[in-house]
Amino acid sequence: MSERDNPLRPLLGTLVDTKDLADDIKLFQIELNGDRFEYQPGQFAFVSAFGVGEAPFGLASVSSRTPALEFAINRIGTVTSALHGLERGAVVGVRGPLGNAFPLDEMQGKNVVVLGGGIGGAPLRPVIHTILDNRPDYGHLDILWAARSPSLLVFTDEYDDWRSAPDTELHLTVDKGDSDWTGNVGLITGLLEKAAPSPEDAVAIICGPPIMIKFTVLTLQKLGFTAEQMIMTLEAKMKCGIGKCGRCNLGEKFVCLDGPVFSYAQVSHFLESFV
Amino acid sequence: MKATSRSDLLAWLDALSEQYTVIAPRMVDGELLYRPVHASDEVVLDFERTRLSAKSYLLPETEVILEIERQEGQVTLGEPRLDRDQVILLRPCDARALRALDALLLDRPPADAYYADRREKTSLIGLACPQLWDDCFCTSLGSAPDDASAVDVMVYKDGDAHLVEVITGKGRALMDGLEAEEVERPTPHSDRSGEQIAVLAPEDWPGLFDEAYWHQLAERCLSCHACTYVCPTCRCFDVRDDTTAAGASYTHIQRLRAWDSCMASAYRRIAGGHNPRPDKAQRLRNRYYCKFCYSPSDFGAVACVGCGRCIEVCPVGVDIAEMLANVAALAKGRSA
Repeated sequence: MSERDNPLRPLLGTLVDTKDLADDIKLFQIELNGDRFEYQPGQFAFVSAFGVGEAPFGLASVSSRTPALEFAINRIGTVTSALHGLERGAVVGVRGPLGNAFPLDEMQGKNVVVLGGGIGGAPLRPVIHTILDNRPDYGHLDILWAARSPSLLVFTDEYDDWRSAPDTELHLTVDKGDSDWTGNVGLITGLLEKAAPSPEDAVAIICGPPIMIKFTVLTLQKLGFTAEQMIMTLEAKMKCGIGKCGRCNLGEKFVCLDGPVFSYAQVSHFLESFV
Repeated sequence: MKATSRSDLLAWLDALSEQYTVIAPRMVDGELLYRPVHASDEVVLDFERTRLSAKSYLLPETEVILEIERQEGQVTLGEPRLDRDQVILLRPCDARALRALDALLLDRPPADAYYADRREKTSLIGLACPQLWDDCFCTSLGSAPDDASAVDVMVYKDGDAHLVEVITGKGRALMDGLEAEEVERPTPHSDRSGEQIAVLAPEDWPGLFDEAYWHQLAERCLSCHACTYVCPTCRCFDVRDDTTAAGASYTHIQRLRAWDSCMASAYRRIAGGHNPRPDKAQRLRNRYYCKFCYSPSDFGAVACVGCGRCIEVCPVGVDIAEMLANVAALAKGRSA
């Protein structure tokens, strides 16, 4: 029986490289051994550290830029610690792609505000890459990027590219600065109030911890964004990613099957709150 | 309809065990459980209900889903499959519960390969209940003690003897070894008398989501998980790798799937520690909504068969039938 018939069987891949992104956060570049899969920004996959287990991660790459599947992984639990301990060349498992994707086609022609909090910024990177690589198809791009401290900001080596792209602005903030930090200090909501993007013909995409999503939504609403104009990804400690294990339900919805990408209009009608 | 004596019925089970693993009610250390039987004299045919359901033969408490071989930097994956077809003698409600598992694990794509394998290799022989037992309420959920809708063969008691009815083609294939007389008899009916519980329609549940009742009900809940383990339709699972299990090692890893419980406080916690369902009342409510609101809207049927096991096992008297009655009363009070 192949992985096509068994959705719980991972494809085998090789860890071709890792890059330090921030404290305890690494970018994992994985190439599948002989297999390929097509994926879209917003989708996720399970990565296996054989002997310890597997966990779901948002895909942080776009296939047009790299043959590798990239994941930004924070060392936070047993599986992520095991992944951080792997050497280049190690065999890993990949199960996916799973879930739905950001509505990038519908977003064409619109101004886009992406709001990333900490490691939550990882699934937004493919959105940013898609817009930058197809710049004429989208309006103004505001990137609001936040972390608890400067050493936790992810994808710092790409900031110059983002800043120098046409009609694109990068706004950074940290909850708490350090001696080298000269930028903005404060929560992403304060940064958002300062940037004050217009809701007209715009869409906002939020990725981050639930509490950040909750307050960012409130600020966006003050700026005039409607529930349909706010898009977010939700997370859960899923075990299967295919709607069977039961872990990720919010009321009658499953984060893995119905999401992970939802509009706030959808989320606000769930029987159960994500926060 | 076939009429057969008890001894011929038992001889049939012995004949079946040549080809199949026969699983039937059997006493194990003082508990009546569905267990593989070695000889038919172990089978208990006169009983009320078994302590646990039969779901573990389709979705085991713990099962190996991948055999992972790690040698010199290479990894190969193997998938265990059930090596022998099985026949389960079970109560009609336990058979019906498998329909709830089918809906999620088989019918909604993608199909679960392990469950599909076991389900295909399983035949079900129903042992009709003559009546409702204490704590049972199948008749309130559109079923009956003699509901043959989910079995391949149904066995009814007929005095000291039995009547055997073939329900499906899979059932017909089991008939070879049965010494029985073809008789013109109507299908026997069980005694269906007993209290009827009003079960609220699925669309009426969302309006009661924020009722204080859920907190009152959960006050005594211990979050012990017993209700989810004895439940024939609860099917949540956890997955992890094991290098320490019997037969496993650093180079031979087993990926295991095991029953999980939505009653656990950590169940819905996400990476980083946030938990959208931190309160046990929220978790108990989720379990009941899963059964009576979400499953009907997703699959067209409630995920409860009224077997009464969760009532029997709960150490603090949380009673699902009482809950259903209270919820119906709450809804009535609101609309009044």
